[in-house]
Amino acid sequence: MSGVVVRGLAKSYGPVRALRGIDLVVEPGDFAVLLGPSGCGKSTLLSAIAGLDDIDAGSIEIGGAEVTQREPSERGIAMVFQSYALYPTMTVRRNLSFGLRVRSVPKPEIERRVAWVSELLQIGGMLDRKPSQLSGGQRQRVAIGRALVQHAKVFLLDEPLSNLDAKLRTEMRVELKRLHQSLGATIIYVTHDQIEAMTLATRIAVMRAGMIEQYATPDVLYEQPATLFVAGFVGSPGMNFLSGSIARGPVPVARIETDTIPLDGYPLCSSSDDGREIIFGIRPEHVSLADHGTRGALIEADTLFIEPMGADTLGWFQYGSQRISARLPPQRARGLSGKVRLSLDIGQVSLFDPITEQRL
Amino acid sequence: MRIRNLAAKTVLTPTVLVMLVCFYGCAIWTAYLSVTRSALLPNYQFVGLVQYVRLFSTPRWNVAWSNMFLFGVLDILGTLGLGTLLAVLLDRQVRLEGGFRTIFLYPLSISFIVTGLTWQWVLSPTIGIQNFVRELGWSDFVFDWIVRPDRAIYTLVFAGVWHQTGLIMAIMLAGLRGIDRDIWRATRVEAIPPWRVYLRIVLPMLRPLLVTCIVLIAIAVVRSYDLVVAMTGYASDLPGKFVVDFAFERANIGQASAAAAVMLGSVLTVLAPYLYLELSRRDR
Amino acid sequence: MSGAGAPVRIGRLGLYAFLVGMALFFAIPLLIVISTSLKSLDEIRDFSIFVPPSSPDFAAWWKAWYAACTGLNCGGVHVGFWNSVRILIPSVTLSVLAGALNGYALSHWRVPGADFILLALLLGAFIPYQVILYPLVKITSTIGIYSSLPGIIAVHILFGLPVMTLLFRNFYTGLPDELLKAARVDGAGFWRIFVSVMLPLSVNILIVATILQTTGIWNDYLLGLIFAGRENQPMTVQLNAIATTSTGEIEYNVNMAAALLTALPPLLVYFASGRFFVRGITAGAVKG
Repeated sequence: MSGVVVRGLAKSYGPVRALRGIDLVVEPGDFAVLLGPSGCGKSTLLSAIAGLDDIDAGSIEIGGAEVTQREPSERGIAMVFQSYALYPTMTVRRNLSFGLRVRSVPKPEIERRVAWVSELLQIGGMLDRKPSQLSGGQRQRVAIGRALVQHAKVFLLDEPLSNLDAKLRTEMRVELKRLHQSLGATIIYVTHDQIEAMTLATRIAVMRAGMIEQYATPDVLYEQPATLFVAGFVGSPGMNFLSGSIARGPVPVARIETDTIPLDGYPLCSSSDDGREIIFGIRPEHVSLADHGTRGALIEADTLFIEPMGADTLGWFQYGSQRISARLPPQRARGLSGKVRLSLDIGQVSLFDPITEQRL
Repeated sequence: MRIRNLAAKTVLTPTVLVMLVCFYGCAIWTAYLSVTRSALLPNYQFVGLVQYVRLFSTPRWNVAWSNMFLFGVLDILGTLGLGTLLAVLLDRQVRLEGGFRTIFLYPLSISFIVTGLTWQWVLSPTIGIQNFVRELGWSDFVFDWIVRPDRAIYTLVFAGVWHQTGLIMAIMLAGLRGIDRDIWRATRVEAIPPWRVYLRIVLPMLRPLLVTCIVLIAIAVVRSYDLVVAMTGYASDLPGKFVVDFAFERANIGQASAAAAVMLGSVLTVLAPYLYLELSRRDR
Repeated sequence: MSGAGAPVRIGRLGLYAFLVGMALFFAIPLLIVISTSLKSLDEIRDFSIFVPPSSPDFAAWWKAWYAACTGLNCGGVHVGFWNSVRILIPSVTLSVLAGALNGYALSHWRVPGADFILLALLLGAFIPYQVILYPLVKITSTIGIYSSLPGIIAVHILFGLPVMTLLFRNFYTGLPDELLKAARVDGAGFWRIFVSVMLPLSVNILIVATILQTTGIWNDYLLGLIFAGRENQPMTVQLNAIATTSTGEIEYNVNMAAALLTALPPLLVYFASGRFFVRGITAGAVKG
């Protein structure tokens, strides 16, 4: 088991700065996910760690060894590609063993490893078939098998599930989690799907425009997003963002629309001035219909429309000049209209500076 | 709907008619002539395979026929081998790739006549290589293949390879460029050296393309006429030339038709399995 | 791409050396022909062909163009040049046009037996000329166009039909048929769609087709020899006649100049067309 340490990594394609000073520490045994929209640099970062692309600045350590100058094959990594990249003219067995044969691994050892991987991934029955005769899910498992067979220190996966249909994707997600737990391998995984990231990862690096906005466990990312972008990207349905300002006093309050919302318990830094503009973020599941006698932050809003989503229903409300959504139990949401009173759970609020987009 | 398609059908009708009459009708006509008594003039009396028997007892034809195989095999090996090698080398991100490609491909733009004449001059004992080496001092050097009937056919290989390697290179290069880049990246992670990647992974993937190349060159060999005329005249002979000579100079329609039918047979033998493979591959 | 250092360098050097060697193999014959055409006959006799000319002189070119002898008359290859031009222009225009129309008709319109037609065309593209030569001679002489300009043009169009049709058909099937559907909803018919929708999108493939046909027809020898007639012999036929006449001393410089003049038009087309030329020749192979 080895960790990966990236320091100050930078890479540009001409005028485009694909990676700007990335620092990342992946502990041994971690399942680190690089999450972000397309173009954020996550695949570039993975390629750089793999050594498939040159970098302009920075250093990479794998398993404690400095590997920045080394070829991919000398870094102790194994990689699974989005398109699987299986060798089409070879059988599955040869696909798995080719790399080992090139490295002159003794035959009995090769056979041992192939057998182990076939057992682990349930691909024993396909060993003599060619990739074109396999389904997408099967090919994907062979691609993973090829990576596992290398006995690498670190496994790099580049959007391996994106070519599968939704059902298969869910199944493979479970498989990958199981594999990680039983092997305890160090994994760096790239995806744009935040559900995948949240379910698989031990730590997630949310990336945007070549930089890591936040690198934390899924819980922290969800409950205490460091920036506006992270708050909006993680979690579905997305967080509500309301504009307002802060007023200091005996208890700091937030002024949103015409309401004053007490912020007791929120760890505001003392440098926050009175009257400062803020963005008030609260997730739909922390907004609920107020019953009589509910205490705490209450607001009034007009019902706009209801979106049934199966287990829950998402209600949209017009709040002054802004909109707010709330997760409602379906029975209460049915037939809802007109003015309602909503209760906000202040303990789950995130405040952001509208300009720096940083958490306050 | 039906009226609109009338225009399409009208447009295609002349082509279809012409194809049927000129290509297929004429081919059948030639095949028929080959089983008749025709000599100087066509004579439509059926005589079975007499013409073919006579053909294969004619020394000149047998030389031409065996020449075709000799030339064909060498030409295919040469163009395919060299063309693929050049394509592989150019695939390695070479500087001035465009320049090299331009040089390798230009012979394809000139006539076989010009190619043949050029190589006739270069290989000519009087002014060509033999003369050059002798001038340098080795006065006993001999390289007169082009005028020796038993060796002339090999000189055709030089010209053929020079002319057509560029075609194979262009086709194979296009194929190489179409390989999924992730396969290359996977081999880099697995420490597989490039020559091995080409040999065991990439070129096997391009097998259908190689077969296409073989078919193209083989058929060009069967049809060869211009090259033989320009290069060696009578010193070497190929079926393509035999047919024309016998049809026009020697004025023996029967023999010419038989030879032409054999040519057609050769082309079909090469083509039929190829087309069958291609079509069944596409249906899959 | 970090270094394995020395072995990689040597490998790269070897690669370039080989490529340069090959480039020389391809270039030298042409260079020899050019250089010899600029020499005097004495120089050719006294020195080897690998020696460059001491005082390059276009006299041989002049003679080739105006006064080279084909055994019968000494008019020079300029006669052949203009013949080739007169053969080329109608042949290329008409065969490209026919191919475009046919390809278009076969690509987006339901025609009975379309697959059969395509297969027939594919086979037809491979039939050697020699197989249908004699019957074709009979047919053209019956119609009265044997050994004449219309005759050779007709023959070139005939032999160009399969390749041109297949080329255009493959191109047009690659275009989305929403375009056609939208035009038909707008009321356009077969011809209207061809002229207003298809042709404007076909510029690239038209260039490719024209280059392919121009090169093929200009470089043709056999068909020109047989079907063009004595007054219309193309340049390639004249060239061969000049170069293989063995009366008296062989004027290598004149012969080579004639060869260069014959090769010049398609070579210029080649150098000017770059990627289109490559597309043309590979389309023939990757047509499947």
